[in-house]
Amino acid sequence: MMNLKKIKIGIIGAGRMGITHYSIINSHPDVKIESIADPSSLILTMMNKYLSVKTFKDYNDLFKESSPDAVLICTPPNLHYPIIKIAAEKGVHVFAEKPFTTKYKEAFELSKLYAGKNLVNQVGYVNRFNDVFVKVKEYLDNSLIGKVARFKSEMFSCTITQSGESSGWRASRESGGGAIFEMATHAIDLMNFLIGKPDKITGSSLNHIYSKNVEDIISSTFLYKNGITGTLYVNWSDTSYRKPTNKIEIFGDGGRILADQHSLKVFLNKPNEKYNLRQGWNTSYITDIFRPVPFYVRGNEFTRQLYHFVDCIQGKETDNQCSFADGVKTLEVIENIFNDYEQNGKL
Amino acid sequence: MQPIDKIILGDNQFFGINHMSQEKAQQLAEKFFDFNNICQVYDTAIQAGIRGIMLNSNDRAKDICNYFRDNKSKYREIRWYPFIPYPQKYANMVAEKGIFPTINEVLFKDNSASGVLGMMAKGGMAVLGKDAIRMMQMLIDIEMKIFKGLDIQVIFLQNIITDLLLGYGIKEIFEEYCEYIQKKHHAIPGLLTQNMPYLKTKLQEWKIEEIVICSSFNKIGYLMSPSVNAYVEAAKANDPSKYQLMAMSTLASGAIPAKEAYDFINAQNIQSVVFGASSKAHIEETIKLIKIS
Repeated sequence: MMNLKKIKIGIIGAGRMGITHYSIINSHPDVKIESIADPSSLILTMMNKYLSVKTFKDYNDLFKESSPDAVLICTPPNLHYPIIKIAAEKGVHVFAEKPFTTKYKEAFELSKLYAGKNLVNQVGYVNRFNDVFVKVKEYLDNSLIGKVARFKSEMFSCTITQSGESSGWRASRESGGGAIFEMATHAIDLMNFLIGKPDKITGSSLNHIYSKNVEDIISSTFLYKNGITGTLYVNWSDTSYRKPTNKIEIFGDGGRILADQHSLKVFLNKPNEKYNLRQGWNTSYITDIFRPVPFYVRGNEFTRQLYHFVDCIQGKETDNQCSFADGVKTLEVIENIFNDYEQNGKL
Repeated sequence: MQPIDKIILGDNQFFGINHMSQEKAQQLAEKFFDFNNICQVYDTAIQAGIRGIMLNSNDRAKDICNYFRDNKSKYREIRWYPFIPYPQKYANMVAEKGIFPTINEVLFKDNSASGVLGMMAKGGMAVLGKDAIRMMQMLIDIEMKIFKGLDIQVIFLQNIITDLLLGYGIKEIFEEYCEYIQKKHHAIPGLLTQNMPYLKTKLQEWKIEEIVICSSFNKIGYLMSPSVNAYVEAAKANDPSKYQLMAMSTLASGAIPAKEAYDFINAQNIQSVVFGASSKAHIEETIKLIKIS
């Protein structure tokens, strides 16, 4: 049997996502985490004490002094651009947390940079690996509800529920803070994934509830040349939600789909034989749809997205999902929302 | 290792938690907003023969613990199976502020636990941060405060924490956790997990024994990584004097009818089942259906 060389991984940024990704990808038998970079000396002290990884305060040193085959970038989003540029120079596969970058121009440049290389590039839009949403995509690709006319994409969480100092995500939009970069980006990417990138953005409005420098609520209307229209509504200050929840509703001339991460309801005007669905309501839950993963930490989709990254590097999977090219499209929509709001959203 | 209760009442139903449907979860949250409704369920369960209660250290648990403490003479026989921490309490704080500022706030703000003042005098987080074990012990003490004075059998580590640590594969952390629960809290260490076969393999490899492992266990494999088969085999090969296995999510959030679910569970080498139910009929039916040896 061929003895495959383990993929050497570097992790840049050991905040919540970096720490989660470490645990998940470390469970993969073909992977060896070689190095980690984070400015926090507390984190590095602990990593050094318990793990056999090289630690660096500065990501530049990680690239200089270790030789990862692939990096997971989990820093604040405004740092992604310089890091990915170095990764490209070094010829390293990249998994970058969402929202990829904070500027469309930078995202576009990085996407072009990677398009010419034979390197895996992925952005952490985890909904694309959720079992329910993958099923919805399959339904839409097979025209289950006929010609799509209208959709709603919503996301709710109780992330920011008090006025507080302007640190972390609330500091500024430039550093990647705010409900759009942090949350709406998921709801937007989900629509790009299921329906496609909108041709025009209109009616964008932003609300401040608890945050001074960034928005807490955002809503917007998406228009498509093929006649589809949709709305986006995202609120990260809604205490009625215990966990972050994405909800979508899609209406077509053959029926309607209602879905969130855990459940999927389909109303059909006519029965569908292929999927064994009846006329009227069909309800299924995550328990009907899920596919198990080898190791579970935070939901199947988190494992699946990183294992997909590894599969792509190993060439077991050739369809590099949620690539930088997809990340650029989401950034383009976000920038259009900001522009629309600046131009038309204020009284 | 002392055998644990064979049937234990869980708490998801009280807190608006339902993995399958957010609508159902919301209905439950509304029903159990009234604390009396929670007490009624406990009384119903106790009348039906339940003596073991599993409870997460969330905000509502404080009221429940107070109630049982205040009525100790009535609930003398109840044995407790707490699981810590309540992850949502930390998740948003960690997301906004970072891990160490969150721990700093939890440990050093409004906390009068023993050792905190001394720790602060020595330099607080800057010093403590270098000692992951001591930090973990202090966090355990804080989470366990609300259960003080109750008859505690097992203290479980919440699955998101167990599985996160399991991914890192650090033996010392598991060793120290288990030892601290045994020596300081005089309880059996418990681990909740969604990766039971892998966790059990690692514990065996590390020679960490006399542990209760609680995991999802249902015939459709929901929240069971890597597969139902791996779970069935791991349970079959298990020596219950070393690891007592407890099954949760036996109905897979309601996807499997109770009779079918427990026919499957009864055929497994499992020592205990934790279930969530709120009506008298469901509680009695469940107790009747569970026949583990």
